Amino acid sequence: MIFLQSIAGGKRAVILFLALLITALLLLPESRQEPLLALGRHMAAAVSVPLHAIDTLNQQGEALWTRYLALQGTRAENQTLRQEIARLRQENVRLRETAAASTRLRDLLELKERLPYPAVSAQVVGRDPSNWYRSIVVNKGARDGLAVDMGVVTPAGIIGRIVKAYDRFAIVLLVIDPNNAVTGLVQRTRDEGIVEGTERGLARIKYLPLLSTVKVGDQVVTSGLAGGFPRGLPIGTITKIERREAELFLSAEIAPDSDFAKLEEVLVVTSPRESAQLPPMPFPLQPPAKRDAGDTR
Amino acid sequence: MKVAAYAVLVLLVIPIQIVLLDRLSIAGVRPDLALVAVCLIGLYWGEVEAMLAGLALGFAQDLFSGGALWGNLCLKPILGLMAGLASRNLVNLSWVFALVLMLGLSLFSGSVMYLLKSFTGPEASFFLAARGIILPQACYDAVFGLAALKLIGLWKPHRAPLTALTYE
Repeated sequence: MIFLQSIAGGKRAVILFLALLITALLLLPESRQEPLLALGRHMAAAVSVPLHAIDTLNQQGEALWTRYLALQGTRAENQTLRQEIARLRQENVRLRETAAASTRLRDLLELKERLPYPAVSAQVVGRDPSNWYRSIVVNKGARDGLAVDMGVVTPAGIIGRIVKAYDRFAIVLLVIDPNNAVTGLVQRTRDEGIVEGTERGLARIKYLPLLSTVKVGDQVVTSGLAGGFPRGLPIGTITKIERREAELFLSAEIAPDSDFAKLEEVLVVTSPRESAQLPPMPFPLQPPAKRDAGDTR
Repeated sequence: MKVAAYAVLVLLVIPIQIVLLDRLSIAGVRPDLALVAVCLIGLYWGEVEAMLAGLALGFAQDLFSGGALWGNLCLKPILGLMAGLASRNLVNLSWVFALVLMLGLSLFSGSVMYLLKSFTGPEASFFLAARGIILPQACYDAVFGLAALKLIGLWKPHRAPLTALTYE
């Protein structure tokens, strides 16, 4: 009784009425709910304006949080990652350098093992202090057994000969310097001549017999007759043959097999005539460097 | 103190020239650091010091060169003397003067070196030498020297010229 009395009075009666109304509406079939939905659309349209605004604000706030405020640690992390990348790059460069050095040293070691003469390996530490001579400075000298006129080679071919030997350093005049001369022979025809450097940074073999059948592409090797080189070391490939009238000899331009701009390690042949057994070809020849070639015959 | 400074200079310039300057080469041509040093000494400290420094630097340069042992030994003191004499009565060391002086001295040095090489070695074409070495090196030396001059000028301004008032 008390419950019914309380419902019957005041606001509670309104609440009860509304509850019954909502229940009745829910129980209505769907087809009867259309007017209500039509009414609701207008209301939804009105509500959607502040809803959209609030949603935009929410998204912007979230973006502000995630992009800026929540990224306090990201800056430090970014810096750490950058440092890591820099370290890995350095390590990558160092590993590449080590791999390249390993390949070079392996070639040099192979050459040293194949050469039937004692040889000392040396590192190129510098170039000629003037622009007038083509020479290199190596980090081995008289205390390592090096002396003037010893030949210097790489796996690609001969490099030059020592012109000055100090205790810890030696100066090697390159074979492409006009002041250098090495005895050489054309491998195919066995014609001998003198190989000397040219002003253009190439080499030239002089005093070849006039009737020689030498041609462009022939390989020139050391003859071993004089100088500090054993026989059969590659010098270069003939790129141009010069026949001049009223001259008793032929001369030919040679593109050296060695790349003189990229010398890093070399072998110094300390005693080219210690062994009496001269091999026909101490080691396989490498393909010659590409140069401008033209037969002028 | 000054002798020690010159000794350090001689001990440093040639190794730097041999080891490091190859990295600065343009078309195979490098600046001649010894020449630049001698010229700057001549401009700043007079011909006597420049000649002595030139003698030491030239000799050190020849020691590590593939050429004869006297080319730079003779040439560098002469360059020092010329640089010192050129700046003797100089009122104001302008960059144009320094540039032209170093260009001229480098051209002179290159031409003399060409002649020395031609007399002592195989015949060489002057045109090829001028185009390939003398002119590019002179330009490089002049620019390099000017940069060095500016650097020196930051801590030591050029000596004051001698005027009538100075003697009073």
